[in-house]
Amino acid sequence: MIWQLDLSILTLIVICAFATIMVKDLLSAAIIFGAYSFLMCLLWTEMGAVDVAFTEASVGAGVSTVLFFAAVHQTTRRVRTRKSGRMLAKVFALMAALLTGLVLIIAETDFPGFASPFTPASLHLSPYYITQSLHDTNVPNIVTSVLADYRGFDTMFETAVIFTAGLAVIAILRRYKRDDRCDLPEPYVISEGYPDTIIRFIARQLAPFIQLFALYVVAHGHHSPGGGFQGGVILGASFILLAISYDSRMIIGIMSERLNILLGNIGVLIYAGIGFLCLLLGANFLDYSVLSKVLPATDKIMARSHGMLGIEIGVAIAVMAIVISIYLNIISHGKYDKG
Amino acid sequence: MSFVKQAPVLLVIIPLLSALLVNILGLVNRRYCLPVAILGILGSFAASVVTLIRVIENGAISYRLGGWPPPFGIEYVIDHLNGLVLVTVSFVSLLAVIFSKESVKQEVPEKIPQFYTLFILLVTGLLGMTVTGDAFNLYVLLEISALTGYALIAMGDNRALVASFNYVILGTIGASFYLLGVGHLYIMTGSLNMADLLTILPGLYSLNAVFIALLLILVGIWIKMAFFPLHGWLPNAYTYAPSAAGCLVAPLVTKVSVYIMIRIMLSVFSPLYVYSIIGLSETIVWMSVIAIISGSILALAQTDFKKMLTYLIVAEVGYMVGGAWLASAAGLTGAILHIVNDALMTLCLFLFAGIVIYKKGGHQLQDLAGLYKKMPVTMAAFTVGALSMIGVPPTAGFFSKWYLILGAIDAGKYHFMAALLVSSLINAILFFKVIEISYFEPKVDHHGGETEKVIIDEAPLTMLVPLIIVALSLIVIGLYSGDIITNIIQHSVPAGLL
Amino acid sequence: MQSIISSYNYWIYILLMMIGLYAMLAKNNLVKKVIGMSIFQTAIIVFYVSTGAKEHATIPIIAHGHGAVEAAVDVAHYANPLPHVLMLTAIVVSVGTLGVALAICLGIHRRYNSLEEDEIQEQL
Repeated sequence: MIWQLDLSILTLIVICAFATIMVKDLLSAAIIFGAYSFLMCLLWTEMGAVDVAFTEASVGAGVSTVLFFAAVHQTTRRVRTRKSGRMLAKVFALMAALLTGLVLIIAETDFPGFASPFTPASLHLSPYYITQSLHDTNVPNIVTSVLADYRGFDTMFETAVIFTAGLAVIAILRRYKRDDRCDLPEPYVISEGYPDTIIRFIARQLAPFIQLFALYVVAHGHHSPGGGFQGGVILGASFILLAISYDSRMIIGIMSERLNILLGNIGVLIYAGIGFLCLLLGANFLDYSVLSKVLPATDKIMARSHGMLGIEIGVAIAVMAIVISIYLNIISHGKYDKG
Repeated sequence: MSFVKQAPVLLVIIPLLSALLVNILGLVNRRYCLPVAILGILGSFAASVVTLIRVIENGAISYRLGGWPPPFGIEYVIDHLNGLVLVTVSFVSLLAVIFSKESVKQEVPEKIPQFYTLFILLVTGLLGMTVTGDAFNLYVLLEISALTGYALIAMGDNRALVASFNYVILGTIGASFYLLGVGHLYIMTGSLNMADLLTILPGLYSLNAVFIALLLILVGIWIKMAFFPLHGWLPNAYTYAPSAAGCLVAPLVTKVSVYIMIRIMLSVFSPLYVYSIIGLSETIVWMSVIAIISGSILALAQTDFKKMLTYLIVAEVGYMVGGAWLASAAGLTGAILHIVNDALMTLCLFLFAGIVIYKKGGHQLQDLAGLYKKMPVTMAAFTVGALSMIGVPPTAGFFSKWYLILGAIDAGKYHFMAALLVSSLINAILFFKVIEISYFEPKVDHHGGETEKVIIDEAPLTMLVPLIIVALSLIVIGLYSGDIITNIIQHSVPAGLL
Repeated sequence: MQSIISSYNYWIYILLMMIGLYAMLAKNNLVKKVIGMSIFQTAIIVFYVSTGAKEHATIPIIAHGHGAVEAAVDVAHYANPLPHVLMLTAIVVSVGTLGVALAICLGIHRRYNSLEEDEIQEQL
């Protein structure tokens, strides 16, 4: 919590936010958005939220920016400059924003001091988590233990959210036969030429290391920042890297649509299934301690640790499949054939 | 594992698992999707009925997820209020999914597995929102229902994509305001569990931050329930959605948001704070009056039948918000009863609209011409729904309106009573216009003296049976309103209100 | 100095929220609206994470080594983990919404050949 660093990063963040809204070219807006996300990630690391920063770096700065690029590539780069067309909307939006800001500033006067260890938030629930987490679950990373055990139910629905998003993109975009509603030409000719040797070589060499790192992140989430989401996204990113440097057809060959959907489902099923298993064994949903009855040579506390690892694996599989699926759907404009 | 004891979580998990199963089976053969979907929702319906019966016999139930005691873990709390809403949600979903069989084949033939998966996930989200006792868990499930809603609506025809995009923008603002409000509560109290907040907040009632937290949550939920003037997304989104999706989304999403508002008012901020300390009742009742009148008048101005129904939803939301903020016991009773009644009425009307679209291909008012003779059973069921919207006894709509009017008189808010009566009158005009159009044949040239023999061309059975069941239930619920109120709703209304 | 820093942090998140809200409502281009949505959501995440920050505290991973005996854990020594958990969920939710929003944008562009809201309104 070094306040000079805090201040400078915050200033840069505001500048990036203004810039990304004002810029006329959508591709530049996407790039500045990537910088904005990355600065957010730095800010949160500096505030002590390393898991959040890791997730933002992989999911926010990584995947979001790639999705923006893919979408802009498929549509159009230019933002049409209009004169004073939408004055009413702009005035209304400004007033709404100012009103909200005013209300929030009034609320802010009541807030407890920033970064004080005596705020109600620090004194009420979190002392229990901090002191008891290692004892209850044998997992030193408190964020992982709260995420996967104490509030594991939220995380299951979070996985369901990302699954839904992937499903929604398929439902909205996917075209199965030639649509005669749309007779507009394809916006960009996919350049088959210029197979860039350097990029392809490096991408192909890096990909297995990236995947290994992703598996490490998933497995080591109990002891260091990381866990299922981050690991799954990095796994997916390795495939997207190959898709960008080569051609999507290569990835579609490996990860066909059916495989992606199947993996996404299996991931969420592993999570819900472990919870259901706990139900069948007689305890409440997602109460891992009862898994000690089926897992060999574990007591109740280690069973919690293993249960958490199980669901993290499920999350990683689901997130990887969904991230690849969303990217492929967007970049191929729903046709899932090339990009 | 005992079904009864685990029912609170099963009613959310069974649909979730069946959604995944539907998606996997859809890869194999899409004919498996519908039966699995129906089974999933049926299981959830059974669990919710079992839970409601348990609550009526024993009182409120608390279920600990992960085995952790609240406030450290997430807790499901089921009392009379959400027990009733749970049964309503699963019942309406069951009828909607049975209805969807033919409609889906006509409207989204190539994406049937995705449709059903999203459908059941939406039901899961709605049920999860209703049953939870944790403020942040509510946000996650709110987002699940929102995302599935966006996707289901975007699968519709021509203008659906633009409508869905507007819904995305406004819906995200709403959900984010809710999250911000919960964040304000968290920073002031350190807790996310609703019961816990109820005990900690009274010491903080004098602070601005708590009041602003309530305001943020309220505005967020009002966007989600399309409370005038934050309703801009609703007419287009619900009109252009696929019929089967509309039958699920229109009756349920706004009503569950009303339930959330009542839950936040009563179980997080106490009735004392909400009604006496902050003094917002007068303003909000006036806003509801405007909502009711605008919704009804805008409905009158429509030539598109489905859009007319969506503006009626805006008016109905005004009833419920006003009823909840009247600060009277009868008003709150009326609002809660209206959640159930309006869900059923809206389902009835939207099922009817779905049948019209299936048979005629359009949803303008002139498409209804001649239906009286061609589809008598459908029109009869529709007439029951229309009577309920107007508020004619013994249909359900009469009783909830009655309680709302009583509540308005108790609280001395005569403008609200006037708005209710005016709205009933406008509904009467609207629906008589519709029935009149449907009675007469479309204007067709008859060659010479030929008289057309009227062929009865009823809707397919899977569409007709849910419609009949809903119409019957409107009458049954109306007749049993007294029992419902004494056994269930009475226990949710806090003592000490007028 | 501390009081300026504490206010500064909260004021920045309010400013970011206003920027995001304005962009979502006022901008003509659909993708700019989606960018505004992302900025809006990340601003809320900044707010939550600030509730968990503690002075002179380290990250919420309990320091342990091989065979270390469980020492007494000092609460003030670790940042508050609960907002981090909530915000992990919020980030994933926001990326899901982003994916869906971009897919809808693509669908709209395919249909109307434009990403500008007024041009689309004219075509409707």
